[in-house]
Amino acid sequence: MNIFYKFRILGLTLLLFGAASSCSDQLDVENPNQPSPSATKTETGLISLGLGIYKSGFLGGTNLGIKYYDGVPGHFWSGAIANHELMADVIGTDIANIFINQIGCPDKITFDNGASLLNPNSPNKQVDFIRITSNHNSTAGQNSLYFEWAYMYSLNNTCNTILSLVDQVEFTGDAATKKNVLKAWALWWKGFAYSRIGSMYYAGLIVSEPNGEVINGTNGNYVAKEAVIEEANRNLNEAISILGATTQNADYTATLTALIPSFNLVGKGGVLTPAMWIRSIKTLQARNILVNTRLAAMSSAQWDQILALTAEGVTSADFVFTGRSNTTADFLDPTTGTVSLKATGPNNTYKITERLVQDFKGGELTEDLRFKNNVKLRVNATGGVTPYIGEVSRGNSFFTRWELINRATTPGAASVIQWSNQSPGGYELFMAASYEENALMRAEALIFKGSVEEGLALIDEVRTAQGAGLAAVAGTGLTQEQAVAELKSERRIGLVFRALSYYDARRWGILDPAASGGGRSGAVALDRTGTVFRNATIEYNFLDYWDVPDNELAYNPPAEGSAPTTNPR
Amino acid sequence: MKKILLLLLGLVCAVHIYAQDRVLTGKIVDESNIGLPGVNVILKNTTIGTVSDSDGGFSLSVPSSGGTLVFSFIGLATQEIAITESNTLSVSMIADVRQLSEVVVTGVGVATDKRKIAISVSSVSASELPQAPTASIDQALVGKVAGAQISSTSGTPGAPVNILLRGINTINKGTNPMILIDGVQMSATSLNTIDLSTIDRVEVVQGAAAATIYGAQGANGVIQLFTKRGKSGRLNVDISSSVSRNEYLNVGNVKKADKHAFVTNGENIVIGASGNPLTVDPATGAYSENVQYFSLDPTVTNSKEYNQNLQYHDHFDLFFRPANTINNSVAVSGGSEKMDFAISASNSHQESNVINNGYWDRSNFTANVGTTLAKGLTLRSITNVAYTKSTLKTRDRDIIFQMMNAYPFADFEATTTDGSIPYYLNQTIGINSRNPLYRQEYTDNNDKKIDIIQSFNLNYKLPRFVELDAKYGLNYQVQERRLEYMNQSRNQNVRYWAGQNSQQFISNYNTANTGDITKYNNSIIFQNFLASSTFTFDFKEDFNMNFPLKSSTQVMFDFRKNVIREFTTAAIGLPATYEPYNAANTSSWRVYRDYEEPFVTYGYVVNQRFDYDDFVGISGGFRSDYSSAFGQGSKPFTFGRGDAYLRLSSLDFWENGNIANVIPEFKLRAAYGQAGIQPKPFDRYITVNPATVGTSPAFFYTHQQSNSALQVEVSSEFEAGVDVVVSLFKNTPWLNDIAISPTYWDRRTDNSIFNVDVAPSVGLGTVKDNAFGIGSHGFQVSLSSTVYSGSNLTWNTTVNYGNQTSKILSVIGDQPILMTAAAGSTNYILQPGLKIGQLYGNKMLHAVDAVDENGEFFIPEAQQANYAVASNGYVVNKATKQPYLTANKYSFGDPNPKFNMSFINEFNYKNFLSVGFQFDWVYKSHLYNQTKGWMFRDGISSDYTIPFSIEGEEPQAWTAFYRGLYAARIANGTKDYFYEDATFLRLRNVSVGLDFAKVFSIPAFKKLQLVLSGRNLWTLTDYTGFDPEISSDTSSDSSSAWDRGTDHNTMPNFKSYQVTLNIGF
Repeated sequence: MNIFYKFRILGLTLLLFGAASSCSDQLDVENPNQPSPSATKTETGLISLGLGIYKSGFLGGTNLGIKYYDGVPGHFWSGAIANHELMADVIGTDIANIFINQIGCPDKITFDNGASLLNPNSPNKQVDFIRITSNHNSTAGQNSLYFEWAYMYSLNNTCNTILSLVDQVEFTGDAATKKNVLKAWALWWKGFAYSRIGSMYYAGLIVSEPNGEVINGTNGNYVAKEAVIEEANRNLNEAISILGATTQNADYTATLTALIPSFNLVGKGGVLTPAMWIRSIKTLQARNILVNTRLAAMSSAQWDQILALTAEGVTSADFVFTGRSNTTADFLDPTTGTVSLKATGPNNTYKITERLVQDFKGGELTEDLRFKNNVKLRVNATGGVTPYIGEVSRGNSFFTRWELINRATTPGAASVIQWSNQSPGGYELFMAASYEENALMRAEALIFKGSVEEGLALIDEVRTAQGAGLAAVAGTGLTQEQAVAELKSERRIGLVFRALSYYDARRWGILDPAASGGGRSGAVALDRTGTVFRNATIEYNFLDYWDVPDNELAYNPPAEGSAPTTNPR
Repeated sequence: MKKILLLLLGLVCAVHIYAQDRVLTGKIVDESNIGLPGVNVILKNTTIGTVSDSDGGFSLSVPSSGGTLVFSFIGLATQEIAITESNTLSVSMIADVRQLSEVVVTGVGVATDKRKIAISVSSVSASELPQAPTASIDQALVGKVAGAQISSTSGTPGAPVNILLRGINTINKGTNPMILIDGVQMSATSLNTIDLSTIDRVEVVQGAAAATIYGAQGANGVIQLFTKRGKSGRLNVDISSSVSRNEYLNVGNVKKADKHAFVTNGENIVIGASGNPLTVDPATGAYSENVQYFSLDPTVTNSKEYNQNLQYHDHFDLFFRPANTINNSVAVSGGSEKMDFAISASNSHQESNVINNGYWDRSNFTANVGTTLAKGLTLRSITNVAYTKSTLKTRDRDIIFQMMNAYPFADFEATTTDGSIPYYLNQTIGINSRNPLYRQEYTDNNDKKIDIIQSFNLNYKLPRFVELDAKYGLNYQVQERRLEYMNQSRNQNVRYWAGQNSQQFISNYNTANTGDITKYNNSIIFQNFLASSTFTFDFKEDFNMNFPLKSSTQVMFDFRKNVIREFTTAAIGLPATYEPYNAANTSSWRVYRDYEEPFVTYGYVVNQRFDYDDFVGISGGFRSDYSSAFGQGSKPFTFGRGDAYLRLSSLDFWENGNIANVIPEFKLRAAYGQAGIQPKPFDRYITVNPATVGTSPAFFYTHQQSNSALQVEVSSEFEAGVDVVVSLFKNTPWLNDIAISPTYWDRRTDNSIFNVDVAPSVGLGTVKDNAFGIGSHGFQVSLSSTVYSGSNLTWNTTVNYGNQTSKILSVIGDQPILMTAAAGSTNYILQPGLKIGQLYGNKMLHAVDAVDENGEFFIPEAQQANYAVASNGYVVNKATKQPYLTANKYSFGDPNPKFNMSFINEFNYKNFLSVGFQFDWVYKSHLYNQTKGWMFRDGISSDYTIPFSIEGEEPQAWTAFYRGLYAARIANGTKDYFYEDATFLRLRNVSVGLDFAKVFSIPAFKKLQLVLSGRNLWTLTDYTGFDPEISSDTSSDSSSAWDRGTDHNTMPNFKSYQVTLNIGF
């Protein structure tokens, strides 16, 4: 044995271990593609997190806010909200992705001639569909009830994260003001999220711990929907007190400008002053009362509350929280980002219904310029009216003669509000409070409190603001009942596509079983051959408040003492 | 070290004990009488030996009298010849069909005689691999490895096979095994890139028990490829050319209903709601209005002829076509005593079976060069370069889905008045159908990939005891793909729809119809460095002790680094009025993806092995790995292994008794090993997602969160088996060498990683966690035998059998997890106690009073009178004619087969005629026929025309029943009507080869063989889809652990008729 070999072996062994020890720094790869959570812990990082609510709160799918996503209905504003508009008979569809054909399918339509169309789905009642088919964890991303819940809790989580960090971060300039803007921002959107949860689900959860960098989880203490609304108002009141103590200076403007996407800062979507912001909150708080109480059950005290809140609510000159599309669809896609964009044209996912058109003052013969500028008959190349009949095995109420006009290609009168415009940034979505909503809530309160003329004047103001071109109703001697009809028509038309129609249909009792006085008579409806009937009766029979989605209950069972998570209906 | 030195010194003394009196010379030849270089010649029971030279010659000092020479060479039967008085010797060596005498290296670290191996290793030599039309090694392996499920799950040119060796180990990382090529890992290049003709041998070890030494990546088993080497001696030139004709399979006779149920007028003319006949507007290519189809109306039947305004078109005939594959290769090999080389170049060109859909083309260059630098010191360089070009335009699913979901009256060949191909013919032809010809017209794809696999191996065998080995492997893949969707704004049909506010066009990123060019620049750089020292001692031979113990110690360092880079840019808005143009002529440009994924892991392996005589062996060791997935400063994870064998046939009573005549070889073996499965590189790193909103950066946590507490998955496996050789009729040509190797294995994975759902109120969707416990077990057996071995005829048979089942033992949180097939729509469930990836949905009933798992009637007693069992066996509602489907969902069963079996037979007559065939039998696999399910949506499937009766009524093809199968409960929901037994028996290969060089003894030609072969020519199955073998898993490498049972418009396999000419000089 040569000593030479010995050294070789030793040498190689040393080489081996030498190589190994020099490797350890190579293990430090992290993820070179994306920042770590520490990036959120700076002034700019926190503001970026604040802007992130437009992603996490409203978009779903791969690398976005919520787990489940189906591109046919789309994200929050075109998908989750479509469930509202479908149940409210604003739109109809025969497309079955995540059951959008079933959630708003009435039990029965009876035509003038006595013939009827039952819900052809199996199960053939919406309540059974929800309970038997939809609301199971195993239905996963097809559960109709999942979406609004998931989006709003994702929004809530981002807000919790902002609130958990805001006092840890060093700010330059007027740090107190910047912090206040961020806190108000988070509290406002938490208030918004809880408002939507409490206005839709029979019970909810109050979750205040952030999840992301660490997983703090949730809690199993389900509270009744009224308590969720209370939580919404608590967050909103906290925002009011912060904003009340904040004055608008350059740092305020700069911070809020950075929190609102630049493409939204158009039209009504400017940078709100603290006062404007407070007014948006008041209007939202008024909504929380109005939409969660049956009209028949509204107390005088509640009308007074609404009067008080709307008196301090959004004015016609105010900026509010809006959404717009841009070419890269950062928040909304120009052609598909909202319900109305997806209801545009003759062959889109959604079609506006006969009943929406009927609710114009005067129905399809209306003088309302909003009708002429936004709605047209569905015709073929030779000009013949071709009702959309579609997949008759999927529903009974989506047959329609109407389509929404794309104002990008058919501009119409600039003075008239646009219901759809598919050019980037063309359509203005009202995400929360608007002047019209405030005015009409106030009008409703006034009418029911006996100040009919004052209420009608507000309806006229709204119609004027939207360029309806209708003759004033104030001063025409309408009875309270006639005034209520004007108000209901105006809420259907003036507030359409603002995610409010379902609330109205619910509180007006239309969605209740016929046996309880629900449904709609004198309705315009088509049968499957396209024949138009004008005195049809529709029995919707929808669940008024949704059960807690089973996707939640499966992973977060109710703790002892929780409120019921299922609507007893 | 001192010990080793002492032992070495001892050896030097020992060697000198033998006297060498005379020199024996000889020549070793093969069956063709050609000199065999590289044969080991050893004087039995000594260390005296040599290796034959390039002509097969050798010379060796031997004792003056007595002694035996042992001649051995891989793949050839070892011969022992007693030394006579003659000083010359001629030896003819023949191929050894008894697999047990092979030497294997995979899973053992040190090349080991298979007789002394304690693990189950399958090896397949080049001669056993069929010349698959794809010319790729992965296709050739189908059916060749006992226990393994290797399936050809798509007929798209270039599609990878699905490989599942032993059970499902991990949900997170798929079933793909680790691929080694000549000892180094091939991580960037996929198996189907390797040219079949360059591979000499494949070894497969299937689980952790054998693969522990390969570390974390070895848990799914290891497939090791060995590149052909040159032999010293004369120059060999081999040329092979083949051409094959491929026809798509439709073994289930899939077709569209030849009758319809649309509203017609008195003359059977199909009319719309307007009352007018349906027409196509020649200016736009669109139908005037929708068909009226009242599918749920209980009086409607699918019974009207297509004989008026709508005519039946055979879309299958239009869109599928026979295609050709052409393969060519040339190889040159040779060498001298100091070096060897094998160089080959090849090309494979395969056209798509879909009309106007391009081709897939691969060229390979391989060079395997070895040199002896100094005594004992060898350097080997192996180079594989592959250039793959694909012009396949459209994903098969896009084309097939749109074709299958069109009513047969759609005339796709019609163009508009300006000659445009219409895209959207209107909802009339089916909701989901667009014209696939349009896709082909407006798409251009040029996908180029270069793969380089380069390895260097420096090996230093010291004269005694120590072998040092260093390997460096570089595997580089670069992909440059240009995908263009042309500007479609001038297409008359597209313009018509745009005018109708309906956007109908194809694009990648463009939201308008003006087209885009997307460029993908992706690369993977993988490096593998292995350094090992092996210390071997033979106590009897080396130290002259009377104790036949051999020891082998291997210490290895293994370093791997992988860097993936992906860069995608798109230019949007292409010129419409002129060409050519390039991306610079477009209106906007953007980077859509810029991604880098580095991953480093390294570790040590220590393995100690002892063999006592030829009788018993035991080994044990461990592997310890560091990983960048855990970051700097993390602790390594360490896993152990051990195995043992007991070779009863080497005992005296056996070896010298009668039993050896019948069972010459009998070995018991068992092995146990653990392997870690690492999280993916970033699974433990929590990040904030940055996005741009307007002009500003926005941050948010995506719904899918990483978890810094994630642990490595641990796969533990135990296997035990027997290796037996049986000689049934000794001294006859029949059934002599029957080698049987049964193996039972059992394994479990703990801490299997999964994205676990969290309650939505958390504000997230899923968090990665060590969520699953998985258990699997199986049994495999390979039987290979020379059925007949006569002077002119040999008949070899191989039977491979394997069964396996994988189950979920536990899930964190105990909630069943519902998954949706990557291809869409089909549901699977992952639930404790169930097999992995069971199909899940609503069930049909076969009795009105059927009861559920709780004994409750599915149909409440009071309603049962409304239902009846129809003549097709399903419960239907008597009034609505709709089928009854359970409200609750159930798992249907395991899509994975109960067993896989292959029968391989080869006949050789007089060295010039060879005949072979292979049957593959996959038993009780299941597929969810989602292809058919979708065809039920619009009443397109031919099932719609099958009449049935309810309560003795006249049989009719009621649409309400068929439509209900699609729509009831959940539209397009998963329903057991479409869950089918996909058992099949397939004639995988059949070939006849005639070697004219041998028939006519043509000089200079070593081989002049004409082979006629066929693949997938015949299939026996009850499956009603195109092909029971396909699976629509669309995960990036088609190796999903759970998405294994859906057939969703995937391209079926094809049957091929192939002619090959093999020429050797």
